[in-house]
Amino acid sequence: MDTHALRLYGVRGLTAISIAAGLAALMLLAASVENSALFSRWQPWILLLTILGVIALMALLARKLWQLYRDFRDHAPGSRLTVRTVLMFGGLVVAPLIIVYLFSLDFINRGIDSWFRVEIKQGLNDALVLSRSALDLRLREQSRRTEMLARSLRELHGPELLQRLDEERRSIEAREIIVYDATGRAAALSSDTPMAQQPAPLPPDVSLQVAAGRSYVSLNPLPNGQYTIETAAPIADAVSAHATRRYVLIDYEVPKELSALAEAVQHTSSQYGDLSAVREPLKISFRLTLTLVVLLTLLAAIYGAVFSAQRLTKPVQDLIAGTRAVGKGDFGTRLPLPSRDEMGFLVHSFNDMTKRLRRASEEAKRSRQAVERERERLSIILSRLSTGVIVTDRELHLHSANQSAATILGGDFGAATSGANLAQFAAGNQRFSKFLEELRGRLQSGWDEWREQLSLPGEAGERVLLWACTPLPDERERGGVVIVFDDITALLAAQRDAAWGEVARRLAHEIKNPLTPIQLSAERLRRKLLGGMNAEDAQLLERATHTIVQQVDAMKQMVNAFSEYARAPDMRLAAFSLNQLVTEVAELYRLQDPAAEIRLDLDLSLPEIHADRGRIRQLLANLITNGIEALAGVAGGCVELSTRQQRAEGTLAAVICVSDNGPGFRKEMLGRLFDPYVTGKPRGTGLGLAIVKRIVEEHGGRIEAENRPEGGAKILVVLPVSDQDRSLLAGGERRVELRRERA
Amino acid sequence: MRRISIVLGLLLWLAVPPVRAAAGPLDGDFQIRSAFVVIDRGVLQLNVHVQYPINERIRSALQDGVTLAFDLELNITRHRRLWWNANVLEMTVRHELTYHAVTDRYVLRNDQGAEQESFPTLEEALDRIGRVEDLPILVESQLRGEGPWQVAVRAGVRRGRLSDTMRALMFWSDDWHRNSDWYTWTLTL
Repeated sequence: MDTHALRLYGVRGLTAISIAAGLAALMLLAASVENSALFSRWQPWILLLTILGVIALMALLARKLWQLYRDFRDHAPGSRLTVRTVLMFGGLVVAPLIIVYLFSLDFINRGIDSWFRVEIKQGLNDALVLSRSALDLRLREQSRRTEMLARSLRELHGPELLQRLDEERRSIEAREIIVYDATGRAAALSSDTPMAQQPAPLPPDVSLQVAAGRSYVSLNPLPNGQYTIETAAPIADAVSAHATRRYVLIDYEVPKELSALAEAVQHTSSQYGDLSAVREPLKISFRLTLTLVVLLTLLAAIYGAVFSAQRLTKPVQDLIAGTRAVGKGDFGTRLPLPSRDEMGFLVHSFNDMTKRLRRASEEAKRSRQAVERERERLSIILSRLSTGVIVTDRELHLHSANQSAATILGGDFGAATSGANLAQFAAGNQRFSKFLEELRGRLQSGWDEWREQLSLPGEAGERVLLWACTPLPDERERGGVVIVFDDITALLAAQRDAAWGEVARRLAHEIKNPLTPIQLSAERLRRKLLGGMNAEDAQLLERATHTIVQQVDAMKQMVNAFSEYARAPDMRLAAFSLNQLVTEVAELYRLQDPAAEIRLDLDLSLPEIHADRGRIRQLLANLITNGIEALAGVAGGCVELSTRQQRAEGTLAAVICVSDNGPGFRKEMLGRLFDPYVTGKPRGTGLGLAIVKRIVEEHGGRIEAENRPEGGAKILVVLPVSDQDRSLLAGGERRVELRRERA
Repeated sequence: MRRISIVLGLLLWLAVPPVRAAAGPLDGDFQIRSAFVVIDRGVLQLNVHVQYPINERIRSALQDGVTLAFDLELNITRHRRLWWNANVLEMTVRHELTYHAVTDRYVLRNDQGAEQESFPTLEEALDRIGRVEDLPILVESQLRGEGPWQVAVRAGVRRGRLSDTMRALMFWSDDWHRNSDWYTWTLTL
């Protein structure tokens, strides 16, 4: 069971105890108020139950007040409103309650005091004294009469005595006359009730009095409200004072009127005394009862005030909590409807508002997701674009860039964060530095929109970029620009290739046709004229026609070479071992020219490649020829062929590297090495490397040429191993194809 | 808060009557000195000697008109095994003592007011109240079942002649109420 449930049960238990104790005390009080014996027995229980109820109520109230204080201290939502409401309710209840309490206290004091006025007590005392006086007079009178009778009874005994007693009793209207002897026993009796019981012995107090020779008189109340006067006196007999002393006791009846009056006074006085004695206790009881009732009412009122205030402010607290939740972005908050009043309307409006907000939030979320998806899509497109894209500001702080930008510029943005300066990526990179220099110059001169070509130097030759800059629509104030650039070096080369191909085709077509008639005509001239000419002329003709035929052959060879360059025969792709082919070609050259030193460094793990074996053979032959020719006159010249495999971006490629330790490429030729008719050799056609490049491109590969740092030239050919690799590589190189088609 | 504490303290004080009784107007020697039951010709007769307290506050209160009620409670129960004791007899003998101001005597009445005695002194009156002699309480045949029986006697003094409503109102502050301890003994036939 968790703490919350325990607290809940605790509160319910206390409430139940409070109510049960109060009801039980009330029931016991009601049952016992008519029965004093029951009341005496149950009084402790009544008190205990009352105290228990009060304590339970106080505990409940203390808990409520502590909750209130804690919420107020912790600035809980709605706590201040609750406290204000409690104070207001409490003030409204407590103030009149205290006024009524004080007024009631004063009323009780005055009221009870007024019941016991001094005048009443004095009047009662006076009446009592008057009654006593009246009765004292009669007492004295009866006492004197008794003494006189005692004297008259001297020497009377027996029947005389009885007769005298009867006469005297009737004469003085006494109830009873008894004569006792010295031992206290009745010696003679005269009574108005002849069947009366045997007279009782002389009471001790009477006996003591009269034995001492004094008269005795006493006023006695009867149960019926009557009074009797009992008098006694010694009878002084003449014979012997000690031996024959007797006593007469007379019981007089007080007149009824006097008895009634005296009894009324006595009764009233007694009642007044009874009530008067309870005056102070009664006041205390009333005060305590009133205090207890007020206390209970006060506690219940404060508890009710706290309870009502909390109930009243609960919807407000819910609203505050709900508003905070909405402020934190939780639009799913729904508040319970407290009632159908204004507060209910407010809560309903809040719920409606959160419902709308939630709908709007979901809409915004969907939009954001769509934007995010678009951004991702754009990011993917950008990353897949072969065009470099850089977004920067005028201070060249990088906002974003794609991978192609880094590839084209030869840099690496890596995990560059937005805001990094582009200069830090260009350190040690000649191409990138030149790019930034151009960019900075344009932006600083206020130029933010252009489209032109840009030549950048590089280790592997000059690169030509087509770059364009345009300001971002919303970033013009902040100077944001987007730079889009493309490496069109290959495109230009392709254009040149295409142009040269066309030239070669036309040249071959136009030149090849007249060459055969020229050669036939020259041979015919020699055949016709040689026999009829002198030796000197014949020798001249022989030399001239020989030269014509020889040059025509040379021209035919040149035309055939052009035709070969311009012609693009169908590829016959097949799987073969590149290492084996390299070895075969190298051995062929070793056999042709034993002086040539050709070294092989082959990767034995290289898989078979899918390519046109004949064209690859031509490629290898051209490259080896190039290398051997470059080594002419170089002591210790060596051509080195190496193969290896290269994995990149999910593709597998075979790399052929042909290097030599000759003089290397001339620097001004590096950018145009693969163009037709570009050659550094005196007798070269300039088509060897152009054909190699064409073969590489036909296979979807790439070729790079550079000078080795230690001297000599190096040509790197990258060929896809399979058709799949070719198609993947072709994605990256597609623009070359497209450009070629355009060209 | 202070006021609440005072009221609570007062309530607790009121809830402990024995403490208050020690300093009340009925302070003094109040006990049952002897009690026994005799059987005379098949009738059980009760004899009790009670010592009631006597002091000037009692005398003064009586002379101011207060009526005191003297209760003698008698319980006879029969022991039962594994069950509550059976109640054989439960009776109360009540007397009221008042001071008769007109005659300057202390008047003692029984419960019904039919019998009345008056005494010149308070001591005589209390002595008379405290001596119960040969009070028939039960005939032998009414003692059903097997003995022994438990007899318990207790005397009590309280303010008399108050209506029950008034007495209920005064239960907070009425200190004119005191009982003696139960005097018990076992009755065998």
